[in-house]
Amino acid sequence: MENMTLLDFARGPGLQWALWIFFFGVLWRVVGAMFLLGTKDRSKHRRNHYIRDGLRACLTRSAPAHAFEEKIRFQHLTGYAWHIALFVSVLLFAPHILFFESLLGFGWPHLPNTIILFSAAIAIGVLIALLIRRATHPVQRLISNVDDYVSILVVLLPLISGVLAFAHVGARYETLLALHLLSVELLMIWYPFGKLMHTIMTFPSRYQSGTFFGHRGVKA
Amino acid sequence: MSSLDAIPVTAEVTTGNVEPLLHEVRHALKRLANGGDGTVIDLKCLPLAPGDEERIEEALGRGEVRAEIDALGPTLIQETSYPGVWLVTHRNTEQAVVGRFIEVTHIPELLKSQQADIENGANRLENELKN
Amino acid sequence: MRNDQFLGEYLRMQGVSRRGFLKFCSATASLMALPPSAVGQVAEALATARRPSVIWLSFQECTGCTESLTRSHAPTVESLIFDAISLDYHHTLQAAAGHAAEEAREAAMEENKGKYLLVVDGSIPLDNPGYSTIAGISNLQMLEETAADAFAIVAVGTCAAFGGLPHADPNPTGAVAVSDIITDKPIINVSGCPPIPVVITGVLAHFLTFGTIPELDALGRPAAFFGQNIHDRCYRRPFYERGQFAETFDDEGARKGWCLYKLGCKGPTTYNACATLKWNAGTSFPIQSGHGCFGCSEPDFWDKGGLYQPISAGLWGERDALLGAAAAGAALGVGSALAARARKKKALAEEEA
Repeated sequence: MENMTLLDFARGPGLQWALWIFFFGVLWRVVGAMFLLGTKDRSKHRRNHYIRDGLRACLTRSAPAHAFEEKIRFQHLTGYAWHIALFVSVLLFAPHILFFESLLGFGWPHLPNTIILFSAAIAIGVLIALLIRRATHPVQRLISNVDDYVSILVVLLPLISGVLAFAHVGARYETLLALHLLSVELLMIWYPFGKLMHTIMTFPSRYQSGTFFGHRGVKA
Repeated sequence: MSSLDAIPVTAEVTTGNVEPLLHEVRHALKRLANGGDGTVIDLKCLPLAPGDEERIEEALGRGEVRAEIDALGPTLIQETSYPGVWLVTHRNTEQAVVGRFIEVTHIPELLKSQQADIENGANRLENELKN
Repeated sequence: MRNDQFLGEYLRMQGVSRRGFLKFCSATASLMALPPSAVGQVAEALATARRPSVIWLSFQECTGCTESLTRSHAPTVESLIFDAISLDYHHTLQAAAGHAAEEAREAAMEENKGKYLLVVDGSIPLDNPGYSTIAGISNLQMLEETAADAFAIVAVGTCAAFGGLPHADPNPTGAVAVSDIITDKPIINVSGCPPIPVVITGVLAHFLTFGTIPELDALGRPAAFFGQNIHDRCYRRPFYERGQFAETFDDEGARKGWCLYKLGCKGPTTYNACATLKWNAGTSFPIQSGHGCFGCSEPDFWDKGGLYQPISAGLWGERDALLGAAAAGAALGVGSALAARARKKKALAEEEA
């Protein structure tokens, strides 16, 4: 198409390439991880309840260990608040659902826009607060690396650009929408190569730990 | 028109666009009451849903004055139940609406006789009486 | 009307009273999207305006723009404005044909050199000139010739403004917009497929009243009519905000007049006056009639995805390509995992040895 605007690029080739890289990368990581498993177990199984042990670990690790509960209450609560706010604003906003529908072939019910906006505002606020904490808290600073900061940034950009586009603030609507789509494409390209893979790996990882310890008679 | 009326589907749309407009009229009327200038609101430039214009008319009601002007087609000027608030509807000779205004004023400009027309009329009367 | 006559005088001679003239100015100001307070200024300007010469050239078009403009037979505001201009050339509307018509055009151009308004509808084919010619003259040649001494050019319709339907992929005639050819004259793009008639006459009325080009947006369209997008002026916006959408064209949501975003409405990215001025003298517009906007006043709107595909669905291509990318990733995953295991096995073997 002649005179391709920024929005045309973001909706078209940009999105196409980002999706290709995303699916390629995610499958590489997930399938690779699956095929890496299967070390020979040299001890006798104490328990044979693979599935139950695996699922239990998924549940138990969703809350802090009792000993640490009080100390990490802040991270615990903000972590949940942020993730719930993110899911609501990404997965329950009608235009987003239409995008997923075009990819997956099915959609799901949505929520009114004011609730989505409120949720997105919470997500942005909490994430910025946590980012500042990460950069200033002595322990967090020590253990954080480039992966952490980049992963936070590529999630923050779509949230902020999305809210700006929705509110028509800062530039013409098409420009804001294009920037929002481009920031999502950046997220998709980064996704398979950094800590954002925790979204896919977390529960399988807990499951694996659960079965592994379960064989040795430990309810972890 | 009758075949269109035979379609059984009707749309009941309420958008809540009428109330803010009535508040604008309220502010304008207050201003006029306190000796300020009149205001003209162009209804054709507002996003009104089907039925909104009727709802506005209903909300404003009808007052004591109803004037029909015949110039380049009919124009209806209706004072609403709120003195000072006039509803002006311009139509062309095909009865199509070419302008719709809410005028908040002592008397809409178009009701007054215009200077140029008065002068022409005076000349014409003088000529009539001469012959 | 004589070309040296003032418009006010012309109307008076038509039997239009001052009161009628004020009504005319009020409706004209409204259609120019001027505030009611400007009516006095409009009246003064129109009373002393002179009759401009207008040459209308129709190129690769469907005549929809002319049709849109000339719908009524009675003196509406649009037709009065149309009468007020001196339409010296319009090969669909004029009685003359052949050489006589072309001579009339050339005479008008000569008489009003530097002062006439050139109105163009239809795109210009750059490929084979045979795709569209008038009296044996190619569109390109006629445009360049006539534009040379024009005061300004009004490109009416999306074809003339941006290339329109002929310009859509694969553009077999090499169609381009007026602005792609003429770069040294002011061009007003009145886009739309077709444009709303009052928008066309609003631009003419502005020219009549003020003798200047109206304020234009980044795409050269009059900001008064194309400054807001449909989404921001749509009466169904409250439904969008509340998340009430029509899912199909005959469901409950559609009957209740809910938002048409899910049915492909391009309102958010389309700039036009349909939501406020509406069509057929304010009767309705596509969304009010239950069909989503398809962005007819925007460039390349034919190539921006299906009419019923929501804006957020994106134009990311085929699902098969994504499955292919996933399969390639999986293959790489298997390969790299097996390679890693082989390395580990080798390392263990070396350790035991």
